[in-house]
Amino acid sequence: MKVTITEVREVVNRLSGIIIENEIPFCELDSAAGDGDFGTSLAKGFRQVQKHINEIDSSSIQKFLRGCSMIIFEHCGGASGPIWGSAFSAAAASCKGKEDLSLADIALMFVEATSAIQKRGGAVLGDKTLLDALIPVATALTTAAEGGKPLKEALQDALWAAEAGAEATKKMVATKGRASYVGERSIDHPDAGAAAIAIIMKELLS
Amino acid sequence: MKKVLNNIENIVDEMCKGIVAANPGLALDERYRIIKRKEILKDRVTLISGGGSGHEPAHAGFVGEGMLTAAVCGDIFASPSTMQIYNAIVQTQTDKGSLLIIKNYSGDCMNFDLAAEMAEDDDVLIDRVYVNDDIAVEDSLYTVGRRGVAGTVLVHKIAGAAAAEGRDLAEVKRLAEKTTKLVKSIGVALTSCTVPAKGSPTFVLADNEIEYGVGIHGEPGIERQKLRSSKELAVDMVDRLLPEAGLEKGNTCVVMVNGLGATPLSELYIQYNDVARILGQKGVEIYRAFVGNYMTSLDMSGFSITLMKLDDELKSLLDAPADTAGMKI
Repeated sequence: MKVTITEVREVVNRLSGIIIENEIPFCELDSAAGDGDFGTSLAKGFRQVQKHINEIDSSSIQKFLRGCSMIIFEHCGGASGPIWGSAFSAAAASCKGKEDLSLADIALMFVEATSAIQKRGGAVLGDKTLLDALIPVATALTTAAEGGKPLKEALQDALWAAEAGAEATKKMVATKGRASYVGERSIDHPDAGAAAIAIIMKELLS
Repeated sequence: MKKVLNNIENIVDEMCKGIVAANPGLALDERYRIIKRKEILKDRVTLISGGGSGHEPAHAGFVGEGMLTAAVCGDIFASPSTMQIYNAIVQTQTDKGSLLIIKNYSGDCMNFDLAAEMAEDDDVLIDRVYVNDDIAVEDSLYTVGRRGVAGTVLVHKIAGAAAAEGRDLAEVKRLAEKTTKLVKSIGVALTSCTVPAKGSPTFVLADNEIEYGVGIHGEPGIERQKLRSSKELAVDMVDRLLPEAGLEKGNTCVVMVNGLGATPLSELYIQYNDVARILGQKGVEIYRAFVGNYMTSLDMSGFSITLMKLDDELKSLLDAPADTAGMKI
């Protein structure tokens, strides 16, 4: 089963909706250890993605995702713009020349997006950032693709990986990003970015 | 919260329009919230700074002759987006290139870096300096490393003077970096700021408490302390700053006593009086002083002290003319 541009657009549209609907819950996740504006800065950008989704060049998956990244770069506040924009930009580049995406292509897309975020923010696994949910997702998808699993099962594996990754951030001390100042005080709270990834994945699959 | 506003969502847009309306030498790009000089002089390196709003007059108030070419305005306390910064670079391009002056906060660094990389892909001549003058904390709510605060204004001044002399990008960058290495600041808050979108104070201090080492977004500092006299605070803060600034007996420096937004000028002058006396006792000569609001934190009550050691090169750049809303020399 392959994913086409129509489905990619649907997923991005739904993703935007989930981010907008969760603006306040995401802010609340962030206020425990960060500065409480994560939901707002993210929703600000994806509100524009949703509004302009029909105007983005959809002649290829690459061009569509690239168009999304430009909107995110322009409208997401604070650090969310570079982080999510870089992820979409790298995801776009990984789709170059592909008319549709196999599970292996999707896995590669997540690997590339994840490494772009790492390059931009300088964080690694265990720094209590959204990477603690995203890296396990990329790994789960890659493993599923190598094992020849069907897409649906692979996505379920990815969700479990995201949820386990987000849960694991509760025990971590933040060293990067906004929650890093509070250090030890961030223990027992999940990272807002990682928790958001798990929530988004869950709602996307439902 | 008690503020005279129209619509909380339009705070930054209306403020930008007001700044440009009040200063005929400035122009506004409304879409990207760029405040720039009406006339971009083609024979000069352009200087671009910016960051979250709420620190006025920084940075838009320092756009003009002898200082910045453009300032990019983010939402209150949030970095401007990559595309805002990229467009500021494009709109102020000259053959001599651009220098970005960035306060060291994670969001600002990511957005300015990415915008610079995009501009480099367009073969634009561009370079960057990061200001991290706040000696209070090493890692903070928004940073890896030290925060950029009021000392940034002196980087605007020195780099702006160098650019106005027609120096090339490498020279302007060298002088900006020399300034960032020498300039050191520390601040105290008597009350918190109130971010309008939130509507309540970011933190609460008792009547007899201060936040020592506070950041310009209301981030915590070193510790909560009992309120002390201007004299006692001046001794404490200058003692912390002197070794960081490498200032010793016989050296010359510039002093900035900066209000954080809601501090009466009388109190800033009282503080400056104490700082000047202490420096005199230590044998450190004051070459020039700035007392006023340069890098504020909305309606926070409190102040910061900035010290920077000067040599002949920096003295002459500091003395060069500047004609901006926030600083005139």
